[in-house]
Amino acid sequence: MEYNGSAVVAMVGKNCVAIATDKRLGQRALTVDMGFEKVAPVTDNIYIGLAGLATDVMTLHDRFRMRVNLYKHREERTIEPKTFSNMVSHMLYERRFGPYFVEPVIAGLEKNGQPFICSMDLIGCINYADDFVVAGTAADNLFGMCESLWEPDLGPEELFETVSQAMLNAVDRDSMSGWGAVVHILTPEGVITRELKGRMD
Amino acid sequence: RLYQVEYAMEAISHAGTVIGILSKDGIVLAAERQATSALLEQSVGSEKIYEMNDNVVAGVAGLTADANILINQSRMIAQRYLLRYGSPIPVEQLVRRLCDLKQGYTQFGGLRPFGVSFLCAGWDSAFGFQLYQSDPAGNYSSWKAACIGENSGNAQSILKQEYKDDEADERAAGTSMEMDDAMRLACLVLSKTIDTAKLTSEKLEFATITLKCGKPHIDVLSSAEIDGVLKKYEAVLKPSDS
Repeated sequence: MEYNGSAVVAMVGKNCVAIATDKRLGQRALTVDMGFEKVAPVTDNIYIGLAGLATDVMTLHDRFRMRVNLYKHREERTIEPKTFSNMVSHMLYERRFGPYFVEPVIAGLEKNGQPFICSMDLIGCINYADDFVVAGTAADNLFGMCESLWEPDLGPEELFETVSQAMLNAVDRDSMSGWGAVVHILTPEGVITRELKGRMD
Repeated sequence: RLYQVEYAMEAISHAGTVIGILSKDGIVLAAERQATSALLEQSVGSEKIYEMNDNVVAGVAGLTADANILINQSRMIAQRYLLRYGSPIPVEQLVRRLCDLKQGYTQFGGLRPFGVSFLCAGWDSAFGFQLYQSDPAGNYSSWKAACIGENSGNAQSILKQEYKDDEADERAAGTSMEMDDAMRLACLVLSKTIDTAKLTSEKLEFATITLKCGKPHIDVLSSAEIDGVLKKYEAVLKPSDS
């Protein structure tokens, strides 16, 4: 799980959610890519970030796309965040004795506009939270940052500042993550994506 | 002669008509619903037209139960291709895989063939807009305008007359007709082949596939939208020359 390095965090705000990841892809100490995408949109209202082994991150993104497409065509509607997280949990547990080495973080807005975040371990144990969730090699650092910086009912702009500071300072104390960050803020009006400029080391 | 295959085709010739018309910027699928009753809840779900994939929409004629199996299979086929190759399945490949499945039921297992014909309308980046017709035997062919189900012979001859097959360039769609012309032609053919006096959105399903921002966009029209279409082309629908 520490081979490639990663930092993922999601936070709840007032009628909005934020999800952020770092951009480093390493092979142990060697940095190989500084623009590696760890978070992907699942639908317009759901984003999933995957921390852990990069090959599993990429494979799972493809598998999620397949399953969400099938869901959309069969049910003639788009999948909701809670349903999607149950599906992810199921997919991970199917590989209970040969798991994907990933820790997913899901952020989305339910149909009624309600914010939703959750994270999971590599075999699919869901952790629903109403404040923040973290994953990756910088998880402990992120826990510390979020616990001190987060407060309830932050608006989209304030949430962006909070999640950005949490991410930047957490990855600075972790050698395996960093090299820039991406932040997505999901609101009922749309998604705002911003790149963060941080220490490139 | 494969009698079971012929019986399947006979069953389809009694099913609701589906028409497909290719234009240079999209494809129209129009279908007649056969099971209509005031008690039927028809605003949810469709009976004739299904999305197989983000780039393929199909009209069904025949046994709906058989069609559901094939539609589900085709959705799986399309997604497995996307998973394996990272790009959307080309239309012909999806149709061929489906037809290979249907052919299997005519040769192996002692099972009866599927009593379904499809009109698959799709777009891919290699060949643009394509319309395929497939039958229970597993045969398929590409068409500029096609019809399956009841009165398909009648409809086919009207299409042959009215369709503007005037584009000499092979790489273009083969016609100068635009979506508007295609919709009008679809309404014309429907009015001449469906035997009710007045066409309403209750009896019809419409779908179009076009390009939006370079990507295929499928639109399965709602009842209100179908009413809009019927109103737009009502000059064509007037039964003045039936």
